[in-house]
Amino acid sequence: MKRLFSIFLIISVILIAFTECRKSPYYRALIVTGQNSTDWAASTPILKQILEQTGIFECSIIVSPAPGEDMGKFRPAFDRYDLIVLNYYGAAWPEEVKSSFVNYVNNGGGVLVYHSASRAFPDWKEYNEICGISGWENRSEKDGPYVYFRNNRMVLDSSAGPAGWHGEPREFEVRIRNSEHPVTKGLPVRWMHAKDLLYARLRGPARNMEILATAHCDTTGGGSGRDEPVIFTVTYGKGRVFHTPLGFPGEGDSPALQCAGFITTLQRGAEWAASGRVTQPVPRDFPTISGVVIRTEMKPLTLKAEIENLAKYEIGMSTRYYTGLQDRIRKAAGNPEKLLEIEKMMVKLLENEQATTESKKLVLRELSWMGTDYCIPAIKKLQENTELKEEVEFALERLGAK
Amino acid sequence: MKMIILESKKQNQMSQKTSRRKFLKKSVSAVTGVVMLPYIVPSSSLGLGEKIPPSERIAMGVIGTGSQGMSNMRSFLRLRDQVRFIALCDVDAKRLAAAKAVVDKANNSTDCRIYSDFREFMEKETLDAVLIAIPDHWHGIIYTAAANKKWDIYGEKPICRTINDGKVIVQAVKKNGIIWQTGSWQRSQENFHRGAELVINGRIGKVKYIEVGLPDGVRGIGTPPVQEVPEGLDWDMWLGPALKVPYRGVCHWNWRWILDYSGGQLTDWAGHHVDIANWGTGLEYTGPVEIEGTGFYPYDGIYDVPVEYDITCKFANGIIMRIANASRLPKGMGTAWYGDLGWIHVDRGNKISASDPKILEETIGENEIHLYKSNDHFQNFIDCIRSRKEAVAPIEPAYRAISTALLGEIAMTTGQKIYWDPEKEEIIGNPVASRLLGRPYRKPWKLPEV
Repeated sequence: MKRLFSIFLIISVILIAFTECRKSPYYRALIVTGQNSTDWAASTPILKQILEQTGIFECSIIVSPAPGEDMGKFRPAFDRYDLIVLNYYGAAWPEEVKSSFVNYVNNGGGVLVYHSASRAFPDWKEYNEICGISGWENRSEKDGPYVYFRNNRMVLDSSAGPAGWHGEPREFEVRIRNSEHPVTKGLPVRWMHAKDLLYARLRGPARNMEILATAHCDTTGGGSGRDEPVIFTVTYGKGRVFHTPLGFPGEGDSPALQCAGFITTLQRGAEWAASGRVTQPVPRDFPTISGVVIRTEMKPLTLKAEIENLAKYEIGMSTRYYTGLQDRIRKAAGNPEKLLEIEKMMVKLLENEQATTESKKLVLRELSWMGTDYCIPAIKKLQENTELKEEVEFALERLGAK
Repeated sequence: MKMIILESKKQNQMSQKTSRRKFLKKSVSAVTGVVMLPYIVPSSSLGLGEKIPPSERIAMGVIGTGSQGMSNMRSFLRLRDQVRFIALCDVDAKRLAAAKAVVDKANNSTDCRIYSDFREFMEKETLDAVLIAIPDHWHGIIYTAAANKKWDIYGEKPICRTINDGKVIVQAVKKNGIIWQTGSWQRSQENFHRGAELVINGRIGKVKYIEVGLPDGVRGIGTPPVQEVPEGLDWDMWLGPALKVPYRGVCHWNWRWILDYSGGQLTDWAGHHVDIANWGTGLEYTGPVEIEGTGFYPYDGIYDVPVEYDITCKFANGIIMRIANASRLPKGMGTAWYGDLGWIHVDRGNKISASDPKILEETIGENEIHLYKSNDHFQNFIDCIRSRKEAVAPIEPAYRAISTALLGEIAMTTGQKIYWDPEKEEIIGNPVASRLLGRPYRKPWKLPEV
């Protein structure tokens, strides 16, 4: 009995150790690139950064031979990875590579089809099935129906016509069509996407395809006037495919790739494709319809940096550091130590002579309901400040400290 | 059961009124030839089809002549053989002038008086009833003051910006024995009445779950700079009890996207679909006991109300109510009751549907519950002013509907689950969240004594 217990203990320790060492980085991803109609050299490092920022992906890159060069020695080892990210649109792969890719997906491998990658290989049947839908390269009704959303339903439209169209890059609203899927669960249903190309009139086999989000393509310049799929999944064999035609690299700093909505859905889609689940929380800066959210630097702000930025607030400036602070407070609910840490930083702002009056007004509004006894002396010290008189009274009255 | 509650409430509402009011009451009785009016008061039985001499028409005033105020006023002008507008009040001179032009035309006279300060309006005017359509942050003061004047009130939803304001308003309306009609006009629409009546009579079995879909949030406008106050607008008076802020171009209509004045679509619409949800389940005189919620707040900009919201409440009888922006719900906008035998969904545009269409053909028996029937929200108010009976959308259900949404707002703001005592009307065991039950008023403003 004792011995049995020892064995159990050893197994447990091994299991725990195994789980621990698998934790970070947990999944291995491979970005396949090297030829594309878009600037693959610009987009690939950003995709890598987006994936690695999750803390659950270790990301490698394989660059194919340049266009016109011999593809004979191009041999990505798909089977070593949990996720293949396709950022490739160019010369045909060797047959061996093609079949190993199909086997990889069939056996349960994860695939992320990014932006223009679906355009590749119009004659490769399995590839088109894996992508679900695509465009250009003389694709037409022979390749499958148009797929779009109408009256809250996915429509498979077999009418004749060419596949693939896009207008000028612009900002547009993305609409989540399935909030129950792990990728989209908990995301705002409507949000603004940064300047991007919206692919329209995509068509293809569309088998086992599920649309998660659409964007409306207006009829300007010959647009489809339809709600076009912009985030969708395909299941192929045992494999999971996450496909987004979004993310055009270009337009200066590639705003589409800096959009917090694009980044988040890509990160979540990658995890889902690799594992079938999503463990990442929805970030606080996820856009809503109130406007596009650009992550110029992708690291989340520290509390200190947020307060320092808030201290410069004047009317007419961005309120993002204020809304960030509010969000921090909400997230710290039920954690008195964390809340006190935030409160102390807020009090520092009140005591900071360099901080603007407008920033102090905002901080006083928040303290009015979430403050503890800690903040009261600092607020009372501001009673002499005529510019803050009303906000100070407001806060003290609500805190019951008049 | 329902009827009994209403009957006893009605009696509470009977009370002393101005001499003019008594005169009106007498004249109606004289026309109809009965002293006790039936519970449901169709206008025809009041003899209102006949011409009422101008001197006996209900003397009405308006506070707030903006889009909603004008819309309500026009609805009453349809009934101008029964009412006469004699005084108007607004903090925006342009809107006031526009409203006066409409009234003058209807009255065929220019004697309608105008005011920019409601205090002067209340001091000088003698009215039977007043229409009030002003931003939510002003409701506490002005509804209470008007009730203290013993004027009957047609008041816009949501009836309060905070629960503490709401409690005082309810008390003021009850204590002064006035007739109150909330602008929750869906109660006077056939489909909402029918849906609620089928549900309350058990046609979908025991209700377990209710889904209430309200509009999605609006797109932001960024961070506008400080601007010159438009000519004719008394900005300081418009702000009133709210914290003083410089004018930045957001005022009429769009105030509802700023938390100082409103809770956004959630609080704007709770007075409609949450009210209907409560009506059909007998929850209109109580509130939830547990409230949880998540909001998506704009990342940036002057608009700070949640653009998406998803609130789940539990009532003492076990019913779960989910209130969310329409995009998050399978049936979208409207009220959907789910019982153990099926569901019924109602929405604007005279929409009513059920899990089985046969449910909608059911008749309600004589001995079953008959919900208050009104087919004209404005006429109902006038009828009740004359009859002194309770109107179809009385004050407390309005307060209960909005307080549910406001508790949801508190849950979203604090990120916490809120426990509420609907009898004592207190948050249980959470002094921090309890601070959000009210908002301190900017000096010199304070709620009038009831």
